[in-house]
Amino acid sequence: MNDFDYAKPVTLSEAISTYKKYGDKARLLLGGTDLVVMLDDGVIQPDIVIDLKGIDELKKLEFDGEFLHIGSRVTFNELIDSEVVKEKFPVLWEASKTVASTGVRNRATLVGNICSAVPSADSAPALLVCNAAVVIATDSGDKEVPITEFFVGPRRTILKPGEIVKEVKIRASNKKFGGSYIKLGRYDGEDLAQVGVATVVNEDREYAIAFCAVAPKPVRAKEAEEFLKGKDLTDEVLEEAAKLAVKAISPISDIRASKEYRLYVSGVLVKRSLKTSLARMNGNGPKYGERLV
Amino acid sequence: MERELKYVGKRAVRIDGLEKITGAAKYTDDLDFGPSMLYVAVLESPYAHAIIKNIDTTEAEKMPGVRAVLSGKDFPEKFGLYLKDNSIFPADRVRYIGQQVAAVVAETPAQAEAAVKKIKVDYEPLPVLQNPLDAIKPDAPLIHPDLGKYEVVPWLYPQPGTNIAHVRKIRKGDVDKAFKEAEYVLEDWYHVPHVVHAPIETHISVALYSYDGRLTLWNSTQSPHTQRNIIAHSLKIPHKNVRVIASYVGGGFGGKAGISMEVIAAVAAMKVPGHPVKLRWTRKQEFQNSSQRQELYAHIKMGVNKEGKIIALKHELFWDVGASAEYGSNVVNATGFSATGPYYIPNVYIDSFAIYTNRPPCGAYRGFGYSEFHFGLESHIDRMAKIIGMDPVEFRRKNAIQRGQPVAYGVEMNPTGILECIDKVAEKIEWGKENKSPDPTKVRAKGFAAVWKAPAMPPNESSAAFLKFSEDGSINLLVSGMELGQGFLTAMAKIAAEELSLPLEKIRVELPDTDRNPYEWQTVASHVTWSCGNAVRRAAIDARNQILDTVSRAYHIDKANLYLEDGKVKCYTDPEFELPFEKFVIDGIEMPDGTYRGGPIMGHGMFMPEFTSAKVNPETGLGGHPNVHYTTGAGAVEIEIDKETGRIRVLKMAEAFDAGKAINPDLVEGQIVGGFVQGLGTALWEEVKFDENGRILNPNFTDYKIPTALDVPRDMNPIIVEVAQPDGPFGARGIAEHTMIPVMPAVANAVENALGIRIKDVPITPEKILNALREKGQENGN
Amino acid sequence: MKKEINFTLNGNPVKIEVMPNEKLLDVLRDRLGVKSPKHGCGRGECGACSVLLNGKSIRSCITLAIEVDGQEITTLEGLEKNGMTELQKSFLQHNSFQCGFCAPGMTITATELLNKNPHPDEEEVREAIAGNLCRCTGYQNIIDAILDVSKKE
Repeated sequence: MNDFDYAKPVTLSEAISTYKKYGDKARLLLGGTDLVVMLDDGVIQPDIVIDLKGIDELKKLEFDGEFLHIGSRVTFNELIDSEVVKEKFPVLWEASKTVASTGVRNRATLVGNICSAVPSADSAPALLVCNAAVVIATDSGDKEVPITEFFVGPRRTILKPGEIVKEVKIRASNKKFGGSYIKLGRYDGEDLAQVGVATVVNEDREYAIAFCAVAPKPVRAKEAEEFLKGKDLTDEVLEEAAKLAVKAISPISDIRASKEYRLYVSGVLVKRSLKTSLARMNGNGPKYGERLV
Repeated sequence: MERELKYVGKRAVRIDGLEKITGAAKYTDDLDFGPSMLYVAVLESPYAHAIIKNIDTTEAEKMPGVRAVLSGKDFPEKFGLYLKDNSIFPADRVRYIGQQVAAVVAETPAQAEAAVKKIKVDYEPLPVLQNPLDAIKPDAPLIHPDLGKYEVVPWLYPQPGTNIAHVRKIRKGDVDKAFKEAEYVLEDWYHVPHVVHAPIETHISVALYSYDGRLTLWNSTQSPHTQRNIIAHSLKIPHKNVRVIASYVGGGFGGKAGISMEVIAAVAAMKVPGHPVKLRWTRKQEFQNSSQRQELYAHIKMGVNKEGKIIALKHELFWDVGASAEYGSNVVNATGFSATGPYYIPNVYIDSFAIYTNRPPCGAYRGFGYSEFHFGLESHIDRMAKIIGMDPVEFRRKNAIQRGQPVAYGVEMNPTGILECIDKVAEKIEWGKENKSPDPTKVRAKGFAAVWKAPAMPPNESSAAFLKFSEDGSINLLVSGMELGQGFLTAMAKIAAEELSLPLEKIRVELPDTDRNPYEWQTVASHVTWSCGNAVRRAAIDARNQILDTVSRAYHIDKANLYLEDGKVKCYTDPEFELPFEKFVIDGIEMPDGTYRGGPIMGHGMFMPEFTSAKVNPETGLGGHPNVHYTTGAGAVEIEIDKETGRIRVLKMAEAFDAGKAINPDLVEGQIVGGFVQGLGTALWEEVKFDENGRILNPNFTDYKIPTALDVPRDMNPIIVEVAQPDGPFGARGIAEHTMIPVMPAVANAVENALGIRIKDVPITPEKILNALREKGQENGN
Repeated sequence: MKKEINFTLNGNPVKIEVMPNEKLLDVLRDRLGVKSPKHGCGRGECGACSVLLNGKSIRSCITLAIEVDGQEITTLEGLEKNGMTELQKSFLQHNSFQCGFCAPGMTITATELLNKNPHPDEEEVREAIAGNLCRCTGYQNIIDAILDVSKKE
């Protein structure tokens, strides 16, 4: 690890000004489960690490009746332990449970997960199907960006030096719905996704589908969603939907899986996820959190 | 007279349990050496094969905190256990990525790391060989051009001018004739990739050299005396001046057998007398530069007659031993003798080749090559059973080797409970009973395998034990076997307890220090319970004889009438007579005239299997007695496969091994479960992957997946079978490595039983399953 | 750029100067003499370095020491301050560990689980300890020991 300075601001504006001062020579620290590994490997060598864990307002995890607000400091285990998340945002809850292991989830945050922007980020498909928004604090005030516009590429987001994600906002659905997140890893223990797919279906037969680990960034499968709109999930419809869904992805071969396997199994899992989501909406699916692969 | 056993074979809390559970157990990195400690960092080769043209260390030497810089210029010595082909630092060429080229000793780890970066090396890259089937070709570039000049034990046969470090041949009967006579013949190839031991504690060594020539090492090791011997021999230091002190070992599995990075710590210490120096491998270095399991390409041809008897086996084993065969050559040798598996086969042809490549050196790994060759062999057995229309369990029973039948090299098989193992596993796994998955996308099936393994050792391996009484009648038992977690210390204490009829709490047995503790070859080969156990038993009998002799002389009682019970000497003919050990084991027995009889009781014992010989005909493998005995066993799994994703889960396992006599039955069960799970890793997930330059792509647990608590069967059934080994302590023989061996073939056989596809290449990944299903579909015209 | 930090270690106040790039694991082991957390992987993947931060298990190998300023750290040494815990006694009786290297981290994680959920079922136990790698045991005797404690209370 290189030598670096350490700052632990207690307000967002203090954090922003320090960040602006150092620019790309600064790195933000939340749980550190990604950052400290990169520091240790020497992949990044910042002049300063700005620890955001001193800022109280980022601890917020609350539901205001319309939106769920997930502050930057909220860890995955805090999401898993939250009754409101489990009840009203069950896909996000299900996805959170697939992240790493409990000792990591005690530190790793949802916001850190999306800011790292690895293509396999487990929280991303859930946020995509929930139409989440990212609230970014800047020195000229807050701005809100839809999650679909947040990711730019592998390990790249729209964030610029001086911009700090304050929270992720998700609107609660007022319709009857069911959803699911299926993570396919090499095994049941801690692993990075080979394929991750989240789907949501509601009582008006509106569908949402999103993937991680099968494109340079987490993606929605809009064409498949449009096709499905208003339709019942017959076998034929599912087949066609799966075909359209995989058109949205562009997987690569890496050490975790081949491109061919990812493509094929994405089709399998999107069907499984849709069926599960529908069954859950109808009250006869597997419980949230149950293994689906 | 058959005595009832009081300690051996009884369940007990392991004697190292309390220390480990309270965190009091000291592993090497937990020892404190004070502020004079210095740290070693190593410069690693970035090339898998290259000539070293020049090493310039001048800049590194000027860096802050640097005390010494070392390279092949200072320490060009070769070392090795069986074949001295490994370098402390290579002077002329590097042979794998990650190989140590130079090292820095500095005041802090960061200073040492910073200085290492300043060492300049000029390399001339050479062609990289990564596949043993390429490296064995006559025109392949040579990785060890000096192979003919290396020191080697007489029973290995390096082939100078090739990349073959050793070849073991067996020629028994006439296979060509037998294949012609056979009703059924099947031949095929199987592949097992490199895997790593992945102990949670990486390699670590602390070394201290003093001005009077004394070298002390604190190592995480399976082989304290062997390390002492190799270091003394290679560095030309008198053995008496080299001392290895062993701490608890945080996982060995063969990876800490013999010697590897400890030589670097040793020579680093010699450069800075008076300072302890520490070298601890990172996880990445543990992957790159400790040792791996050999990769194997195996070709099997098997012939079976009408009655379902295997009459011929041709087994060709092409092992990638990596850049050094100093230890791995013996894996190749051992499997060459035993590649028939646990079957009586009259006509056998085996070629087992140790082939150099530019991958990290390979060596001992739990199972010592037997896991790898059993994968192909036991897959083949199942396929052959299908061809002849016989149940695979029945086929194994029919061909299983029995006591007295000759093994491939001609020696008679030892007593074996293999049939009982097969039967008990079949019963436990409910062989033949179908079990349907409630989920229509999933299919369930069972798979079976039978195995054997002999300890692979030089014919003159040996163990020694020493036990001494103290004033209160307790004993300190000194041995040099290593507690790796297998329960060695508890087993030795029980053997001494049994012979001396002394409660376990009166016995202390700890980890060794080569200065103080008597000789042990190494804690490898699943042989210490047997070999060191025999030495301990003899030491205890020696002490018992001294006790009886003293009491007999003092009380004029015939020795035959005396016996030991619960720490006391008692007499068959005089029920009133009772003499507790603490009354005399140090102070002796006072006679009526005020003189004393006796003196401190100290037992010693040693064991060497005097019946073994490595002198065999190199062309046939016959004529010697290379192995002491075989332990046999069987294993089975029930799996569930998701037909859509190819994912496999193992739902249930049963494994049985013939332990002869389980000294620690609960710990034997622990070995079976733990070894099964380690085997499961290699069956389903584990594989070291390399890029085209020979660089490891997954030197971490992110992408090298070892089983977690979520990935193991929920229903695990360890079974102990006991058919006594006549020369084992209380009939015991080793089982710890064997528990891994059935898993890869059992899973592959279950996959075929589930889906009708045969996977011949582990790990059995979902992707391989789906590809095979697709090919099968195409064959069937779907 | 050393900075002074203050934190509670196993119930006792600690004041120490650290560099921002020092890891908590190294400070605990090499500077404070607390040896139960072990070096295993350096990347937060094996769990051998687990300690409790304000009662929650974390990976001290991927935590900067400076981050625990003002916090409370508990290691195995702290858990057994008043003698062996019921969990430790259960581990002992079940011969749960073999080489023992993963034992401190495993104990930290299992302690956290039982504090949060005193009566977990087997799958909850497996899920909780899945981030603690053990290469020796196959986990069975560890899980049995944890379940035994949960049944007693």
